[in-house]
Amino acid sequence: MLHSPVDRVAEATPHAMAKRFRGLSDRSLAWLFVTPSIVLLLAVNIFPLIWTIRLSFTNFRVNRPNAEVAFVGLKNYVSILSDKDIWLTMQATAHFLIWTLVLQVLIGFSLAYLINKKFRGNDLWTTIIVLPMMLSPAVVGNFWTFLYQPQIGLFNYAVGFLTGADPSSFSMIGDVSLAPWAIVIVDTWMWTPFVMLICLAGLRSIPDSIYEAAECDRASKWRQFWTITIPLVLPFLMLAVLFRGIENFKMFDLVVQLTGGGPGSITELTSINLKREAFEKWRTGYASAYAVILFVTVFGLASIYVKALNKVKQR
Amino acid sequence: MSSYSVTEPSRRQKWFAGILVVLYALITILPLVWIIATSFKTPSDAIAYPPKTFFTPTVEGYVNVFTTRTRLTEEQLQAVGEPQTWYDRLVRKDGLVISGPSRFAERFTNSVIIGFGSTVLCIVLGTAAAYAFSRFKVPLKDDLMFFILSTRMMPPIAVAIPIFLMFRSLGLSDTHAGMILLYTAVNLSLSVWLLKGFIDEIPIEYEEAALIDGYTRFQAFYKVVLPQAATGIASTAIFCLIFAWNEYAFAVLLTSGNAQTAPPFIPTIIGVSGQDWPAVAAGATLFLVPVMVFTILLRKHLLRGITFGAVRK
Amino acid sequence: MTRFFDGLLHFRRGAWEMLASVLIAAGVFMLMQPFALVLYSWSFLVTLLGTVTFIIVSHFPE
Repeated sequence: MLHSPVDRVAEATPHAMAKRFRGLSDRSLAWLFVTPSIVLLLAVNIFPLIWTIRLSFTNFRVNRPNAEVAFVGLKNYVSILSDKDIWLTMQATAHFLIWTLVLQVLIGFSLAYLINKKFRGNDLWTTIIVLPMMLSPAVVGNFWTFLYQPQIGLFNYAVGFLTGADPSSFSMIGDVSLAPWAIVIVDTWMWTPFVMLICLAGLRSIPDSIYEAAECDRASKWRQFWTITIPLVLPFLMLAVLFRGIENFKMFDLVVQLTGGGPGSITELTSINLKREAFEKWRTGYASAYAVILFVTVFGLASIYVKALNKVKQR
Repeated sequence: MSSYSVTEPSRRQKWFAGILVVLYALITILPLVWIIATSFKTPSDAIAYPPKTFFTPTVEGYVNVFTTRTRLTEEQLQAVGEPQTWYDRLVRKDGLVISGPSRFAERFTNSVIIGFGSTVLCIVLGTAAAYAFSRFKVPLKDDLMFFILSTRMMPPIAVAIPIFLMFRSLGLSDTHAGMILLYTAVNLSLSVWLLKGFIDEIPIEYEEAALIDGYTRFQAFYKVVLPQAATGIASTAIFCLIFAWNEYAFAVLLTSGNAQTAPPFIPTIIGVSGQDWPAVAAGATLFLVPVMVFTILLRKHLLRGITFGAVRK
Repeated sequence: MTRFFDGLLHFRRGAWEMLASVLIAAGVFMLMQPFALVLYSWSFLVTLLGTVTFIIVSHFPE
């Protein structure tokens, strides 16, 4: 062929540009391509991180720029790690984390299992189910306060309709015993599709031949489920749980709009608490130490996550 | 189905599964439908008990979200004269006059500028880095890839403390440039990981053929790889855009007036008396609908995007 | 189990990564458990140890 696509491309390439890059070896091109990204990440992520670590050993406060900054050693860490209120914040986070994970895994896996039955129109319904997780958590959280209004709220009305309870007799976000569940419900509503999609990918990765072989061996459907389906989906499920775990460990936007940490501090998750310390009380040094503790925890979880990720990728 | 297969679910199973999934889908979509429905209600319809399913639609919410209004007395209303436009007439029913535009349009524009700005930057940097990671022997490649991913995992509030200090000393706080840089940095991990997956899938033979034909490496990248990766780049771009569009934590801490985006603004919309739910719903609808459309367009690549390219489907 | 200890002794990656993951998981559990303040106080050190171990051992041979 005289005029292959490659030839046409060659003609179209601006001469000046071609000349400029002709001399570049693969090695220098690699560096040219990677460096801008790394530099940006160093400037916006790593430099601030090092700064945070340095501040965490001081008593610096942003709102008192003229006060003398003193090196206080590990004092901030010691006081955070012996603070009962922060410990309670961690427990609130744990409650949120455990229940959202349990519900999302159960509902998400069941939905994926049902969708994998390949009924007609399953693509359409999958897309509809997925919609909530792509939306802005802050805007969604704000609107859920409307759905949670006693009496006029849709949620209270629906609960009243189904159970016969008076819709104005309870307030999901005003009641100390209900508020922790209010945030669990909204997060589950929003993120179950995420777990579902990953489980679905796991289910679809199982070749039919394995089931056919099991059928030949006269294994019951129940046995097939526990010895084939579950073990083969498990790596995918691990991935979903770790990812949701990390995301919910640092949950901020949805909950801050929904309950603002209240009533009292019953739904004050770690990130909300940290925001109070850093941007309301302006205890910058102290909050930096707090941030470092969260960093290390997330970093540790992230390294396990990447391990799980590579396991799934090999499939 | 022509032949019987042991793995093919029976018709009864399909029906059963279908009904349960549709039921869940209908319940899960209800809050979203409710937001859109509320945006077309009058304030009194919005807070009616029992909640109103059928109502006369009105665009009052949309007028309210774009304007600020003041209540006038009878004489003052007389002095203002007859309402001129359809939106003037709409608010006049409640004895109000429009006193000016609200800041919603401005916040929405900020969202668009910052969203698109960071997406473009992110795709340019991300494509280059992803190509290098995919095709060349970069030293410490695995460590760099993990480092890039881990930056995404960091809690935004914890990152915000030093960023706040840094932006303040550089004069970047509450500026579009600052927010674009920040969102680019946060999204870069996603774009590098996703694009590396897409580029890995392009057969290396295409480039080799081009190199034999006398292309330089850069030409091969620019003229052969880029067009092949177009779909991947487009879907990565939409993911970056959605993230920047939805982001709240950085926006609420680092912007206040000038560069504030819509997510921190929408919850602060209040009417003349208390929270104006139709206006909030109208703002939310205008803000959420683009993302819904994108989600439907993206549905084939959705899984890839949310798992950093780990699960391809 | 013996293979696990064997792996540790011979600096094989798998065994050490497992150990690091267990340390991180234990640290995270200690951080958020509601039972004893002492565990909470030491949680950070355990997570830090696990994370540092993980970074080091991820460069060990398979």
